[in-house]
Amino acid sequence: MKALLAVYRAQLKTSFLMYLQYRASSVLWLLGMVLEPVIYLVVWSTIAGANGGAVDGYTAGDFAAYFLVLLLVNHLTDNWVYYEFQERVRQGLLSPLLLRPIHPIHADIAQNLTYKFMMLVVMLPTAGALGLVFHPTASITPLSLLLFLPSLVLAIAIRFLVEWSLGLTAFWTTQMSAVIQVYYVGLFFLSGQMGPLALFPAPVQVLAQLLPFQWMLAFPVQLLLGQLDQHAIVLGLIAQTIWLCLSLAMMTVLWHRGLRRYSGMGA
Amino acid sequence: MRYIALLRRFLQLNLLRELAYRSNFYMQIFQSLLSLGFGLVGLAVIFDHTSALNEWHPGELLVLLGVYQLVGGVINLVIQPCMQQLMREVHQGTLDFTLLKPEDAQFLVSIRQIQIWKLCDIVLGLVVVGIALAHLGATVGAGQMLTFLVALVAGGAIVYSFWLMLATCSFWLVRVENILVIFQDLYQAGRWPVSIYPSWLRWTLTFLVPVTVATTIPAQALIGQLAWPTLLGVALFALLTLVLSRWFWLFGLRHYTGASA
Amino acid sequence: MGHSCAIDMCNLSKHYTVSRRDAGLKAALRSVVRRATSQVVAVDGITFHLAPGEIVGFLGPNGAGKTTTLKMLAGLLYPTTGTATVLDYVPWRRERAFLQQIALVMGQRNQLQWDIPAIDSFALNQTIYRIDPSAYRRTLDELTELLDLAPLLTKPVRTLSLGERMKCELAAALLHRPRVLFLDEPTIGLDVTSQRRIRTFIAEYNRRSEATVLLSSHYMADVEALCRRVIVIHHGQILFDGNLRELAQRSSSYKTITVQTPDEPSRLASFGEVISREEGQVKLRVPKAATASVVQRLLEECAISDLTIEDPPIEQVIEQIFAQGVVA
Repeated sequence: MKALLAVYRAQLKTSFLMYLQYRASSVLWLLGMVLEPVIYLVVWSTIAGANGGAVDGYTAGDFAAYFLVLLLVNHLTDNWVYYEFQERVRQGLLSPLLLRPIHPIHADIAQNLTYKFMMLVVMLPTAGALGLVFHPTASITPLSLLLFLPSLVLAIAIRFLVEWSLGLTAFWTTQMSAVIQVYYVGLFFLSGQMGPLALFPAPVQVLAQLLPFQWMLAFPVQLLLGQLDQHAIVLGLIAQTIWLCLSLAMMTVLWHRGLRRYSGMGA
Repeated sequence: MRYIALLRRFLQLNLLRELAYRSNFYMQIFQSLLSLGFGLVGLAVIFDHTSALNEWHPGELLVLLGVYQLVGGVINLVIQPCMQQLMREVHQGTLDFTLLKPEDAQFLVSIRQIQIWKLCDIVLGLVVVGIALAHLGATVGAGQMLTFLVALVAGGAIVYSFWLMLATCSFWLVRVENILVIFQDLYQAGRWPVSIYPSWLRWTLTFLVPVTVATTIPAQALIGQLAWPTLLGVALFALLTLVLSRWFWLFGLRHYTGASA
Repeated sequence: MGHSCAIDMCNLSKHYTVSRRDAGLKAALRSVVRRATSQVVAVDGITFHLAPGEIVGFLGPNGAGKTTTLKMLAGLLYPTTGTATVLDYVPWRRERAFLQQIALVMGQRNQLQWDIPAIDSFALNQTIYRIDPSAYRRTLDELTELLDLAPLLTKPVRTLSLGERMKCELAAALLHRPRVLFLDEPTIGLDVTSQRRIRTFIAEYNRRSEATVLLSSHYMADVEALCRRVIVIHHGQILFDGNLRELAQRSSSYKTITVQTPDEPSRLASFGEVISREEGQVKLRVPKAATASVVQRLLEECAISDLTIEDPPIEQVIEQIFAQGVVA
């Protein structure tokens, strides 16, 4: 355990130095991530405006609050490891990683966390500035903030494991597979990136509860904004825990299968 | 003409390359249909709650979606792959080979990579536009068609110039390749009519990152809402950006070869 | 078409500014605010001239400035100071007519398209260089014969071995019959057979086409096989420009004497420096001036069954020059 911590410290430092070196591109990556919530904030506010101020009880201010919190949570749960895996398998960069005495996932976790927390330096002020422009209205209580933190951690873990596992499909094909694309479409609609799930028709909402997307993103957002009652919060945390175990299992299975295939190919 | 001969040669080369990977074709069809479905579902959700988005009715937004798909296809057909290749070569130092050739380097780097299968997006976009126009009962006359084409070409030129300037930045900054990914994110803004955005965002998405000018303007031309002055403005802006990007490219090249050391 | 010089330069220099940063977290954070830079002198005032049709070897260790010089002569880099002309053109003006007549081939760098057969990439060059179809046919046939390309042309480039790829790269660069050919480490990374084949080809090509060839390498064997004249560069400066044999003779002040003798090698240590000893054979290094007297003493005082006198191998000479930075 101590050895693992030491590895993490070293890995975090290396990643930090790397992102510092490429700070220009690191910051530019954020641009794209900021724009999407802003776009849908504007779209829904426009609709609210045309509908006499609110859509299904959400006012423009509510939308602003929702999307700004979503912006931050999305940033903290986002991953890009899928693309790296493609490159790794294509260029045989995985072999050196496999030679190390620790699981490659740790390096990715460290790099991932470093980027996200480093970039909070840019993201938080950005969200603040957007708040000044869009006038969010929200009621965040100390209790909701307290419960938000564990749900956020669970969301980060679930999404990382699921998307890391998706990255493993690179073992089977180096083309962007159909599975990945369907995943991102599903993510967009069912994780709340397009808008609060309450705005979707009932069958879609049920689907969203059965799939992991909601638990990776929408749930912590709604929790923080006080849009859920106690019952829903407890059920939600349980659902997140279940999905954490499921995604861990999926990752382990895919990793072993993938590794067998990779070494079978003699890369 | 010289450039046509070169263009034909590059088309040939790229087609040969793509035919070596036939599965790409099927994947592309899947991708295009998925993307279209994605757009349609989005529209459906929106129109579940309202009858018009800033005075754009469902049929009109469908035209916009078609244009969005079409223009996206054009960008991914040639602009994106070429600029990505350019950045990669600057990063790896293999741009030298292109600079050794006795042809204008900008022309070569802008035309050499063509992802043939992206034609699917273009075709699909046109189909959607056709269906949407039929649904609207709108008839598109020759004049409207002409303004549409002019708007399309102007929009394309603006997007090309923007990408070229971004790619030219890689002469100075090193890890810029991933930056092109953000354009894909930013392009999403083109799904929606530019009028819904607050003025500062509208300005940004028209002049700074020219997304909406490539999609909203041509769509407006098709549904007959494009005023002459706007079209003229867009055309002039296109000319300006082409000149600006050419100048910046030559400037960047001089830096790359150490002239302005 | 008599040019007095195919390649001509005067006091050519290239300086780079690189950003410098020390290791560690503190230095990294500091560099966010302030970027430290330092000057690197890649090429430092070099001058030489090549006559048309010459093959000249450009020899130097890694980082000596060979590639930078070649890139300046090919027009890819602007020099910091100095002038140069290639075929009476100023290279970095990159005029079309100039680019039409030169070629640069870099070892381990590909300009061929990866996924398609080489012949299709050749067709692209034909269009770009505006090669007449019949001339193209003729040149292609000649190159195919010289390089033995026939089985390779229709296979995708990524399936070729390194040596085969290099041959195709060379062919692609020569389709437009350039009058000046710059080769930057063309045999690097290749196995011995491929290296030899490439060398043979270059020599033959130079003979047939009378193209001027400037070949940079850090392999002595390349230069020995192809060039009578060699230019040695180190730390951006020219250390030697002349005949290869002359270089060896001028800078080595030793001779190697190999003797076959049943005597104890330790006995021989008094005659000169023992550089190797095997069963019955000893190699001695002896100062040139003392060679005659040492040989005489050896023959008088020892039971010698065979004796050979040689110059030290060229590699040693070159290594010595690089290490000392001067030519004696």
